[in-house]
Amino acid sequence: MNARYGMVIDLDRCTGCGSCMVACAAENNVPSLPQASPRTGITPMLVRKVSNGMEGGAQREVFIPIMCMHCEHETPCVSVCPQQAVEVDKATGIVMQMPQRCLGCRYCMTACPYHARYFNWWDPAWPVGMEKSLNPGVAVRMRGVVEKCNMCHARLHSAMAKAAATGKREIDPADYVPACVEACPTVAIRFGNLADQNDPVSHEAQSPDAFRLLARLDTEPKVYYKSKEAWVRALAESKSANAEVKHG
Amino acid sequence: MKLTRRDLLWGAAGTAGLLVTPVPWKLLDDVSIWSQNWPWIPQPTRDPVEVKQSFCTLCPNGCGMRVRMATGWPVGVAGVASHPISRGALCPLGFGAHQLNWHPQRLRTVRHRANSSSWQAATAAFAKACSEGPIAIIDGYPGRAASSVFQTFVQKRNGSYRTVSGPETQALASYESWSGVPVAGLGYDLENAQTIVSFGAPLLDGWGTPGRFARLWAERAAGSTDPRLRLIQVEASLSRTAARAWQWVPVHPGSEAALAAGLARVLLEERLVRAGGPMPPMTLAQAAEQTGLSTGAIADLARTIVARPPVVAIANDGNPAIAALNVVLGAAGACGGIVRKSKHAESYASADTGITSARAVLIDASVPWDFTPPTNAEVFRFAASDGGSGAADWLLPAPGFLEELTDVPTAPASGIATYAVAPSLLKAPPEVHSAAEFLGGIDPALITVEKVIHTRCADLFRGRAGILQGQETTPVSKCSSVQKLEEQLWKGAVWIDEPPRSAAFRCELKEWPATADSAQSVGSSSWNWSKAWRAPVLPPLATKLYLESSLREAPDRRNV
Repeated sequence: MNARYGMVIDLDRCTGCGSCMVACAAENNVPSLPQASPRTGITPMLVRKVSNGMEGGAQREVFIPIMCMHCEHETPCVSVCPQQAVEVDKATGIVMQMPQRCLGCRYCMTACPYHARYFNWWDPAWPVGMEKSLNPGVAVRMRGVVEKCNMCHARLHSAMAKAAATGKREIDPADYVPACVEACPTVAIRFGNLADQNDPVSHEAQSPDAFRLLARLDTEPKVYYKSKEAWVRALAESKSANAEVKHG
Repeated sequence: MKLTRRDLLWGAAGTAGLLVTPVPWKLLDDVSIWSQNWPWIPQPTRDPVEVKQSFCTLCPNGCGMRVRMATGWPVGVAGVASHPISRGALCPLGFGAHQLNWHPQRLRTVRHRANSSSWQAATAAFAKACSEGPIAIIDGYPGRAASSVFQTFVQKRNGSYRTVSGPETQALASYESWSGVPVAGLGYDLENAQTIVSFGAPLLDGWGTPGRFARLWAERAAGSTDPRLRLIQVEASLSRTAARAWQWVPVHPGSEAALAAGLARVLLEERLVRAGGPMPPMTLAQAAEQTGLSTGAIADLARTIVARPPVVAIANDGNPAIAALNVVLGAAGACGGIVRKSKHAESYASADTGITSARAVLIDASVPWDFTPPTNAEVFRFAASDGGSGAADWLLPAPGFLEELTDVPTAPASGIATYAVAPSLLKAPPEVHSAAEFLGGIDPALITVEKVIHTRCADLFRGRAGILQGQETTPVSKCSSVQKLEEQLWKGAVWIDEPPRSAAFRCELKEWPATADSAQSVGSSSWNWSKAWRAPVLPPLATKLYLESSLREAPDRRNV
C-alpha cells in the first residue's frame, strides 16, 4: 500500500450540525466526562463557528471542522516528540499517535499549529453499564496521554483484514470510510487517496476553491477545505481582518 | 566497599550497553500497556460485530439506522443510504443513541409522588381510576401500532385519545381547518420546490427528517450564488439555517406573521400570484414597522420569492398567517408545496384541550418532557428517563432505545406515505414496561402491538400498492404472501406508497386569519422559555456538543 489518505471538506456544505463530532467520539470510545470543559475535553473532531465580523444582515457565519491535518512535511508533532510516539505512516500518510509510548509531555500539543491535539486528563469512565456500548475495534486510552484524529485507523485495519481474507493486497475504498465522513448529512466531508489521480478527492483538492489552513507553514496538511466565498478562503492564512473565531 | 573510577567507567559502559539493547524500551512499553489495563478502566468486548437494520425511534421521523451489535449490545450506529426519506443521514442525537439506555437519569423503578412504588400498585391505581370515571391517553407519535392499542382501550371505556404535536405538525394544522384534510395526510413536497421561505423553521438543524432536507439542500443549493433551490430564512437571529441560507432576512422577534401579511399584500396588490386569496388587513407600513424592515425591502422580498416557482412557506409553529401566505402563493395543494400524501389519514384531537374532566390521564413515553397536561386528574406518566419536569403522580419506567417493538408510520413532514417496523434489538430490563403492555395487564383482551403490526402488514399486502425498499426494491404486488412482506419489513425494508394521483386539495380561506402575536409579547415569551429551559436527557456524547464546544449552546448560555 502506498496511499496518501486525506480529506476535502466543503465548507459551503457544512451546516454545523455536529454529527461528525458525535460519530467520531462514538467510534473512538471517547468518554463524555462531566468535569470536561471546552479546554479539557477530548474532541478529535471539533467544529468551530467563524463569523465574518460584520453586523446585522451582512453578518455571515461558516462552520469549520478541525481535526488533525496529518501534515506530510516536517510534521511538527513528530519533530518534537521525545518518545517517538508520533510518526507518519509511510504506507498511508496518516499521522499516527501511539498512546503506549506517550509520556504526556504535551510538546506535540504546543507544536501543533492547528490545536488539534487533546490531553487525556482523566481515567476514561462511563456511567454504569455503558461500557457495553464501547466500539470493540478501538482500545480505550489511559489517562495522561495525548489524543488526536487517526482517520479511524481501526476501520483501515478492518478493511485490510477483509482484503487479506479474500486474497487481495489492496483494500476496497468503500470499506475504509472514517466515521465523520460517513456521518456527514450533507456530504461536506469527503475522504480519499490524494496520491491516486483517479480518486475524485484528489481532483477536488486541486480545485481553485480548495485551500489548506496555514499553508504558509509548509507542513503540507492532507486535509483540504473548499469554499467559494473569498472571506472564508482568507481565513486559511489567518489574514481576515474582521473574522471572529468562536473557540470551543 | 570503595567505589573506584574504574567501577564508574564499568557502570557507565554497562548502562550504555543496556540502552542500545531493546530491553529498557520494551520494559517501558510493557509498563505503559500494563498501566492502561487497570481493573477500573473499562475494556471493549472482543466479540465479533454483527450489523442489524432498524429505525431510530427518538422522534417520529424514523430515520433508517444500521446498528452494530457485539455480545448482544449496540456498539455503534450509522445511517442507511437506501432509506427513501433519511437517505443515510442521522441527527447528532441518533449517532449517540446507542448509549442512551445507560444514561444516569434512566428510570428503573416505579415512582409514586417521588416515593418508590411497584407495578402492582400502579396497575391497581389505574384500574381503579378507569372504574371511577373517564380516562385520557396522550400520545406523542400518533399512527403507531401502540397508538391503535391506546385508541382501542379508550373506546372501550368512553375515554379520550389525545396527541401532542411537534412543530412540523402544528404548522400544518391550519390547512386541516381550511380544507378538512387531516394533518396526518398532509406533507411538504420539498423535492419539487424551487424556493422555500422558512419563517424560523430550523430546516438545516433537525426540522422534519434531518437527512431529507440536508441532502436536498446540499445537492441543489450549497455553495451556489444562483442555486436550483433558493432557501430564504426569515429569523431574528443568525441561526445555523440562516447562516447557510441563500438569503437571510433578519426581522424583529415574533414579527413573522406581520411579514407574511406584508408579503401577501404586495403579492395581491401587484398581482404577482395567480391563486389569489384574502387581502390582509395589515398595511405594508404596519408590517414594516413590526418587522423592522423597510416597505421596499418587503416588496422586493415578495418579488424575489415568486421569481422562481414553485414556492412554499414553512412555519416553525402553528402560525396561521404563514399558512394563509401559502394559500395566496398557491402552494396549498400544489406540486412543490403542501400536498396530500394519503387519503386514509386520521384526524387527532390535541391534548391541550378536552382532558380537564378526566379522572386519570396516561401519558405515553413518546410525549416530550416539556408537556404538562392541563388537568388536575391523576397522571400516569411513562418515560425511559427522568426528564426532571412535568408533574406526574405516577412515573413509570418505559423501554429505552431499541428495547421495544414498534412500527414507524409516515414521518410528519414527509411528502409520501411510508411504513416500517423497528424490531426490538435489545431485551428490555424486567423492571420496565411499555404503556401498551401496561394497558394489556388491565385488559387482557386488548389487542397487542404485534397483532396490530401483523394486521397492518396484511392490509399492505391486500392493497398491492407501493414498493418495499430494502437492500433490493420489490413491488408489493410481487410479494407472494403476507409472511414474505412482513419478513422484509422486519429485516429493515421500508414500504413506500405510490405517489397519489392527485396531491391537490382545496383550501377555503375567506378572510385573513387573526394573529394575536406582536413583537413584544412573543419576544418576552421566548425569554421566559429560555429562563425556564432545562437540559433534556440526551445521549452523553451529544452532551459533549453542549459542554465541550461552542457549536450548540444551551439557551442559558446564549446571548438571547
